[in-house]
Amino acid sequence: MSMVSVSNLKKSFGKNEVLKDISLEIKDGEIISIIGSSGSGKSTLLRCMNQLETIDSGEIKIDGQTMVSMENGHPVYAPKNTLREIRMKTGLVFQNFNLFPHFSVLRNIIEAPVQVCKIPKDQAIEEARELLKKLGLSDKENSYPCELSGGQSQRVSIARALALKPKVLFFDEPTSALDPELTGEVLKVIKSLTEYHMTMVIVTHEMEFAREISDRMIFMDQGVIVEDATPEEMFQSKNERVRSFLGKFRC
Amino acid sequence: MKEIVESVISLLPYMVEPTITAIKLFFLTLLFGLPLGMILALGRMSKLAIIRYPIQFYNLVMRGTPLILQLYLIYYQIPKWIQMYNPEFRFDRFTAVVVGFSINYAAYFCEIYRGGIQGIPKGQYEAAKMLGFTKTQTFFRIILPQVIKRILPPLGSEFMVLVKDTSLAHVIGVAELYLFSTNQMATRGSMTPVVVAGVFYLIMNWIVEKGFLVLEKRLSYYE
Amino acid sequence: MRRWRNKMAVAVMAIAMIGTLAGCGGTAKKGNTSEQVTTNNQTGEDTSLSLVQQRGEFVLGLDASFPPMGFTNEKNEIVGYDIDLAKEVCERMGVELKIQPINWDSKQQELDTKNIDCIWNGFTVDEERKKSMTVSDAYMENHQVLVVKADSSYETKEDLAGKVVELQKGSTAAAALDSEENKEFKDSLADTILIADNVKAMMDLGTGCDAVLMDEVVANYYLAQNEGKYRILEEPLSDEEYVIGFRKGEEALKDEVENQLKAMVADGTMSEIDNKWFGKDVSTIANEE
Repeated sequence: MSMVSVSNLKKSFGKNEVLKDISLEIKDGEIISIIGSSGSGKSTLLRCMNQLETIDSGEIKIDGQTMVSMENGHPVYAPKNTLREIRMKTGLVFQNFNLFPHFSVLRNIIEAPVQVCKIPKDQAIEEARELLKKLGLSDKENSYPCELSGGQSQRVSIARALALKPKVLFFDEPTSALDPELTGEVLKVIKSLTEYHMTMVIVTHEMEFAREISDRMIFMDQGVIVEDATPEEMFQSKNERVRSFLGKFRC
Repeated sequence: MKEIVESVISLLPYMVEPTITAIKLFFLTLLFGLPLGMILALGRMSKLAIIRYPIQFYNLVMRGTPLILQLYLIYYQIPKWIQMYNPEFRFDRFTAVVVGFSINYAAYFCEIYRGGIQGIPKGQYEAAKMLGFTKTQTFFRIILPQVIKRILPPLGSEFMVLVKDTSLAHVIGVAELYLFSTNQMATRGSMTPVVVAGVFYLIMNWIVEKGFLVLEKRLSYYE
Repeated sequence: MRRWRNKMAVAVMAIAMIGTLAGCGGTAKKGNTSEQVTTNNQTGEDTSLSLVQQRGEFVLGLDASFPPMGFTNEKNEIVGYDIDLAKEVCERMGVELKIQPINWDSKQQELDTKNIDCIWNGFTVDEERKKSMTVSDAYMENHQVLVVKADSSYETKEDLAGKVVELQKGSTAAAALDSEENKEFKDSLADTILIADNVKAMMDLGTGCDAVLMDEVVANYYLAQNEGKYRILEEPLSDEEYVIGFRKGEEALKDEVENQLKAMVADGTMSEIDNKWFGKDVSTIANEE
């Protein structure tokens, strides 16, 4: 069954066409990595799938619900309520964490479950503590984001997304803002999430990590999907652009 | 020396009332000006030009013309219009000053809020959206608390200017501290009353400054 | 294109606003006086006196820093020669006197917006003021005089040539200085400085200016307060008269106040008040006609 379905998606910023006719199917439980050089459109694709950018043309469905479809040649978004329902099925981990600086770690995690999903506070706290424990942050629940390292911040933001129990979790370059020595702890945490059998879509520059974790890898270049294959196939691709891109990571 | 002390002491009992008038004006201006400024700020950032431009223009007029002139217009022009329909109408002096100060200060508060709100990174809105917060929840739970921390320093300065500006109320005959001290200066032929009034303003502003330092400290637990 | 349109929109609004403001100013100057007259003419009678009697209150507007006519004493009470007169008049009229300090610059507006019923505070009449107000008969004489420091060398107006004179802005001192007969004197000065009130001007004597031009009655009060510090030059710049200013057209109220003042002269009350403040009879209210 298809969890995310994108067809003929187009998106321009002014005259700059960033996504040129993208189509993509992601199955329930699949782990997908999207790779490609900066400016290839991979982050924009992710943002379109998360309603952070409006599309110019095309269709997007999440878990069978239509987010946007074409009518008379124009994209029409679903009613507000549907869009919100869809949003509650997805989670997004940002490159810059975007933690709420005025909330403690615990409050960052429980605020949405309590305020949005109306889960009793005690239950939300209990669940949050379990997540923190799993992510190795038990001693940080009363800390504020400014007191955390980059790696810890990103782990908290993963916990915050997980607290809403999304069906699909998107990662937008989750380690790009981190010092090299901190990327490991975050990647380890992401790997450990595979046990939830959640659909995951990861935009990343960490090739080894992508190779290990992914069921499928997607290589994007200049707004189009150039290659969509298993990690093994991707790393043995005959495509010149794929080879030259992957070549840069093997030094 | 003894003379000066005596004249200061003889002044003090009569300074209570004008000081209370000044303090009342200060708080009433905040009571009406702060929320009005927020409404203006939201309109000022509206996507609709028909809301945005008039507010921009309003702010220009309010901030670009002397408050003292605005007080004259409010107190001497508005009653004339109303008296065309109701000849018995009288505009209470203090009410007029509160109205004048509130609508003037709202324009300054609007710009301070706007600076604070626009300084919040876009990522905060995006994160809130992804977590399912409604726009209202996002504003009141996520954005506003951060805005308050950011705008405390400019807001503190504005509050201090307001304390001093209460002296302008004398131009339409409200008996506040400045009017009292200058009248006493005329009567006694001495500078002592205005110096004492100056000390009163300084004390009030010292309290305002202290208050803001305490607030800033209380909000310093995060960055 | 879009930008240009936005700029146009702002420009149009700005012009509209300036127009509105100018409009306000215009009506404020012209409209109010005639408006007032017509209100009274409409009903064919002058209701000013009956309205005051009906309300039981007579509101006196003053700039409470004009000793000894009307000023704030050290206990922050408003007292003075004018206040004593007004109290007595009100008592005789059977109404309560309400004393309202105002900004002297806005006295005309205060009358026009009906916040006060009269201006009574060592108010000097001139032709300009007669146009926009109804004024009483003169009740006291005054002169514009030059005050200098006691130890200065100035004796006559001519000694002040090339010197600096300060005076209260918006006062009749300013009008006196600008008059034709004093043109020569004004031209001889190095500079004239307009300042908010007489006390500030007095404080500048010797440092910021060489002489202060002000009402004789006020000058006398300050001289008495600060014995030996100041001196008045013998030759006054102009002779003036104090009057009470009423809203244009409110003759009935003015007549009633005048009549009460005359009655006070007749029964000796006026003399009592004169002597309390000036040590001699000063009232001129019953002198004419």
